[in-house]
Parts: sequence; C-alpha cells; structure tokens
Amino acid sequence: MLTHNHTTKAAACIVFCGFFTGPQLLAAEATTPQDWIDRMGNAVQVTNYEGTVVRVRDGNVDTFKVVHTVKDGVIREKVVIQDGNGLEIIRNGNEVHCILPDRESVLVEEWNNQSTLFSTLPSSDIRFGNEYDVLIKDFERVAGRKSAMLAILPHDNYRYGYRIWLDLETGFPLQTQLIGDDNQPLEHVKFADISIEQDIRSGALDPSYSTDNWKWYTEPRLTMKREVQSDWLADDVPSGFRVVSTQQKILPDVDDPLTHIVYSDGLVTVSVFIAPVSDGMEPRRSSVGASNSYSTVIDGNRITAVGQVPQITVEQIAKSMRRSQ
Amino acid sequence: MNEAIRMQVSAFVDGELPENEADLLVRRLSQDAHLRKQVSEYLAIGRIMRGEYSLQGSDALRERIAAELDAGSLQEPADSVVANEPSRYFRPVAGAAIAATVALAAIFGLGRVADVDTAVPATAVVADETVSETVPSMSDDELRQLMILHGDGSNSFSTRVTSLQMRAEELDEEAAVEDPDAEDDEDVTEPVTSQP
Repeated sequence: MLTHNHTTKAAACIVFCGFFTGPQLLAAEATTPQDWIDRMGNAVQVTNYEGTVVRVRDGNVDTFKVVHTVKDGVIREKVVIQDGNGLEIIRNGNEVHCILPDRESVLVEEWNNQSTLFSTLPSSDIRFGNEYDVLIKDFERVAGRKSAMLAILPHDNYRYGYRIWLDLETGFPLQTQLIGDDNQPLEHVKFADISIEQDIRSGALDPSYSTDNWKWYTEPRLTMKREVQSDWLADDVPSGFRVVSTQQKILPDVDDPLTHIVYSDGLVTVSVFIAPVSDGMEPRRSSVGASNSYSTVIDGNRITAVGQVPQITVEQIAKSMRRSQ
Repeated sequence: MNEAIRMQVSAFVDGELPENEADLLVRRLSQDAHLRKQVSEYLAIGRIMRGEYSLQGSDALRERIAAELDAGSLQEPADSVVANEPSRYFRPVAGAAIAATVALAAIFGLGRVADVDTAVPATAVVADETVSETVPSMSDDELRQLMILHGDGSNSFSTRVTSLQMRAEELDEEAAVEDPDAEDDEDVTEPVTSQP
C-alpha cells in the first residue's frame, strides 16, 4: 500500500500572499490555479523569447541558449547546447536540424506536432483533486521577472510533483522543478536570463556554422506509424492513467512491428512498447535523468515501459500488460 | 570552487536556496563553463558516494573512492555547518580533483542510460508466472531507441532535448563508423544527396 505524500486533498486551493499587489495585478485575469495553467498553455504556444536555460539533474549542469518564435503559426526554434559537443538544434516548422559541429554533420528530423520546447503541461485533461492537487504557493523573481510559483502535488508515489514559476505578465514558465517522493528536486530547469516578446534579432535562428559542405543525414529511424487497435492492455495501472494513443511503428532493419501504447494521467505520459522476441530476456530497470524504464517478457513479447515517473510506476504498468482474449 | 559555492549548490539542488541567490547562481553557471564542470564533478561525486549510480564501472569507482577516503586523500569537510547536516551530499575538500576526474570518466564517458538495478535476482523472473525464463538482456541501443521514441511525443523540455541529444550521440557513433579505417562497418544512416 502506498502512502500519500501530501495530506492536502482539496481539489485545488489558492493562496494569495501580501506580495500579490500593484503590478502583479497584471495577472488578475488568472485567479485560480487552472487559470494559470491555461495561461501557461497559451503562453508556451504564442510567446516569442530568447534566453539562456540552465538544467541541473543527475549531478550534471547543462546550459542551453534558446530562441523561439512563432509567426503565422510556424514555430521556429534554436537550441544550442553550451557544453560537450556543442550540439545545435534548429527547428523550422516541422523540420528539425541537429547540427554536430565536431563531426561537421547535420541530422535532419521531422516533428509532426505543434508542441514546443516548453510545452510543460497540458491545459486540460489533468484532473486536479484526483491524482494531483495544485496551489499557487509563492510569488518570487526569476531571471529578473516577477513570477507566481505553481505547485502540483501528487497524491501518491506513482508520479512526481512539480513546481513551476510562471511569468506574471505573460504566464510563460521561467523555472520548473521536478520533485521526487522525498520532496527533493530531481531536476531544475531555469532561465538565467530571458527576453520575452522582444523583437528577436535578425539571424538569431540561423545556424552558427556554415553547413553547406557538411554531411547531411536523413532520419531513417522511424519509417512508418499508424493508429491501431491493440489487444494489449495493462490490467493494473496506477490510478488516473488511461490509454491516450496506440500506434504500430515499423522501424528500419526490424522485421516485426512495434506496438506503442501511451498512457497518461493528464500530466505525464508513460510509453509501453511491445515487440515479439524469439529469445527470452532478463527484466531490466534503467533510468535517464528522472525518466525510468522497465523491460520484461510476457507471452513471447518484450514489454518496455518508459516515462518521467518513478520506477515503481513503469514497473507496475509493464508487469501488468496482458493480451485480452 | 570554494566552500561557499558548494554550499550554495547543495542548497539549490535541495530547493532550499532563496530565489534571489538561486538567480545569481544560475546566471553565474550559465556564463562560466569551468564552474559548470566543477559543479557537475561535485554533484557527481555526491551521487556516487550515495550509491545512486550503478553504471557499468561505477562499483569499481566507488571502491576506489572509498580507498581514497581510507587513505585520507579525500576528507570529509571539517566545517561544522556541513558536519551537522545529514550526509545527503558528500562535500569533498582536499583531493577532490582526483576523484572528480575518475568520476567524470566513469559517468559521462559511459553514456546517459544507467541501469537502476543491475542485479535483478533471477528468482524474480521465475516468481512471476507470466515472465519468461530467460537470457539476453535488451541492449543499450534498443533501450535508447525506445527512449527516443518516447521523447518524440513528450512535452517535457528536458525529455525532448535529451531525446535529441541521444539522436546526436547515435549520429556521432554512425559517423565514427564511416571512418575510412572502419570501412567494413555497416552504415545505419544514409547521407542525403541533396541539401536544402
């Protein structure tokens, strides 16, 4: 039996402090946590910004220069990783170029969705009061801007908590923290500096290198995907998780199709991958940052669950996958 | 990196640093690659000391750090503030650079996918009726590919960036295969003939 992390059971509560006066009333339209989440959902879609993001996780500090614009519905982004191999990610609509300066190579990918780098949360679907509580906890300055801190508190140990600092003026997330079950941050993502809705300087989205004579690579990794009905289901998913999509994917150099079922509790997603295996396989637990995975074999199929959730969650979902008859 | 910065970093990681100080620290980190490296080393050592990494080779590393501790080349801080705190983070003072170098080689040189529990007992396999008895483990490449597929549909900034970083690592490996000295290796990715 899992213990609840938090005693708060109210569907949602809001705590205003004395700090919330004067200019902060610019955010007066957002009076409830859900309003703030809606504002954020809109802000990450429409806000133009340029800044420096610092991410601390897994005992590592990464810094990214980011530029993001939206014009006539076309998203353009540039992310430059300041450490390591200096990877640059440049997105123009659906086309993404990953530039590897040290290899003088460019990998071309396609993103067939409208999500942006900071689409941290959905504006709907999350059922506060069931799996999470949400409250506005504090008002602080982040990257020199006034912000409201939204705390999302899970009811159980099957999911992480979040703290999100939202720009009072625009609702844009200036800082996020992923909170583990010991109430300690697992990951920080924070703007060190940011310019919002300023005219993004000309050329800010251009590559930093002349790549004309570099090697260009297509993306052969995923050759086909389609929505399907699957007879696989988890019969013991943690509360609130439900199937939001089921796809069949054909991967290069792989004969058997891969079934990809996505579970969501409205805030996070867990992918379950199912593929036939001829040989057996030892169960395996792995992690990347705050994301965990668990693999096992059931009825001659390799089942792998992956998600930014605690290990217990991916393990329970993977182990409970059954083929319905 | 001085002790004050170490204390600040620990407080920041614990979510306990006042926001104005956190702002200054993050700004400094964003501008100082050397400090980022030092902080990464410092945090990595803390994680290893707490046994939070089980990457291939890290057990040996942990033993080596323990040996360094026994030999006195690594010391627990004498600072009373630190000493009175729960030992959530090991705060190396002298000799840290030795362990840091080893830690970096072990952690960052071995990739980003870490086995959380490499010692899954075989009995666990047998105990679950539906789980096959079996043999080979899923390869890192296979797992990485699934994590990339998951990241493709994720809304999280970190997950998506990590997914792209993994793709870049794949490309890096594939590009290495193209080395003239390794002509026999199979290319996985085909170069495009035309450029946009």
